[in-house]
Amino acid sequence: MGERTSGGGDAHRRHAHPARCAPDTDGHPQVEALLTRALRHPDVAPERERQAVAAFRAAREAGAHRARTRRRDDWRPRAQRHTVRSLRATLSVVLASLALGGVAVAAIGSSGSSQGSADDGAPRTPSASAPDDRRAGPAPTVTSGTSAGQDRPPSAQDTEAQCRAYDQVAGRGKALDATAWQRLLAAAGGEENVTAYCAAHTASATPAPENSRGGGGGQDKSGEGADPAAGTTGDAGNGNAGNTEGGGDTGAAGDTATVGSTGNNGRPEPEKTPDAKGGEQ
Amino acid sequence: MGQGGEPRRAQAYDGELGAAVARAQDGDESAFAVVYRIVQPGLLGYLRGIVGDDAEDVASDAWLEIARDLGRFKGDGAGFRGWTATIARHRALDHLRRLRVRPRASALEQDVLDLPGPHDTHDQVVESLSTERALDLVRGLPPDQAEAVLLRVVVGLDGPAAARVLGKRPGAVRTAAHRGLKRLARQLGVEGVTDDGPRTLGESK
Repeated sequence: MGERTSGGGDAHRRHAHPARCAPDTDGHPQVEALLTRALRHPDVAPERERQAVAAFRAAREAGAHRARTRRRDDWRPRAQRHTVRSLRATLSVVLASLALGGVAVAAIGSSGSSQGSADDGAPRTPSASAPDDRRAGPAPTVTSGTSAGQDRPPSAQDTEAQCRAYDQVAGRGKALDATAWQRLLAAAGGEENVTAYCAAHTASATPAPENSRGGGGGQDKSGEGADPAAGTTGDAGNGNAGNTEGGGDTGAAGDTATVGSTGNNGRPEPEKTPDAKGGEQ
Repeated sequence: MGQGGEPRRAQAYDGELGAAVARAQDGDESAFAVVYRIVQPGLLGYLRGIVGDDAEDVASDAWLEIARDLGRFKGDGAGFRGWTATIARHRALDHLRRLRVRPRASALEQDVLDLPGPHDTHDQVVESLSTERALDLVRGLPPDQAEAVLLRVVVGLDGPAAARVLGKRPGAVRTAAHRGLKRLARQLGVEGVTDDGPRTLGESK
């Protein structure tokens, strides 16, 4: 909006004011002038003015002029009123974003911790979700079925995870004793076969990520997935932290590791579940 | 637009009006008379556009309320115009409701409105416009356009103030005012007419 020159030049119309923006009526100054001259006239009936002044007097006497200002009566220039409003608006936005941020952080935290318990970090020994299982290493092997803490039968996802973890822990004797390892070993037919078994298995599973996002999380190959921090890479944007972490996770501990598993920290991913499971093949 | 950044549209006498309002709020009767004289013309013009002949009566109702609630008002001269326009509008709507709103210009009248009036010619810019014809034209506009034009032009409110009076978004009011003025310009043969030929009867609005 630019400076508007008053075409009408009518004394009763607005002053030309340099700082003022052109009104939206810009472009029709002649029409405006015509309308103004045609419609805006001083009141020719003096009695109306007298009535109005009388009403003013009466109201004044009655103390009506001491009444408070309602919202509709406040017509101060917007700058004054706006400050309060904008402050409120700003605060509400800040609070809202903090709340959202807090939720997100909490989500990460909760999933991270569950991951953490299941699979701790580097030597991610695939183990049951119970932390002690992991550390214990050798002992729990006996308690195979239950130690995993999962009732799930080993699935392709587990294998996937196991293989990945295997890479991580290869050479670290204790890790190999964990239950899940035992399963892997059994499936592979011995330690020396694990590599080949894994190669075959993960290769077949590779296409899976394309099948479904759900599956993708569990099978993220990118960096061994063992890294919980990187877990998110496995499953972009899936908001499901548990899922992304698939990493090294222990197939046993599966719920958090693999996508689509119901264990996803309670996060409902119904559409993922079937995909994830099926996607492996 | 309007994020507190649009400067207010100041009218002549806005400063004087603001000062008079302040004095009247302190009890100065003659100041109130000044207020009346400054505000009434615009108010009447607006009301004539929306209620026609009963404008004076509706204006009197409005002034009763304005006089009574004067102490509540907070703002400057331009704000006072907006405040009084809002009061006037409410009274007008009450009035129309009581009368079960008269129908707008009939079809026959529409044809009449399209004829060039005695003051219009094809080739000249319209130099003057009678009150009668101005009212006819404005009342022939769609209601939202009529009100937007009246508030912006006759009362002299800026965009945000007009929007507040109407209870609409500033953008909608801006559009309505623009369209209304464009239509009026066409009807008056003023700028905006693209065809050079003689105005046709019954030209579509």
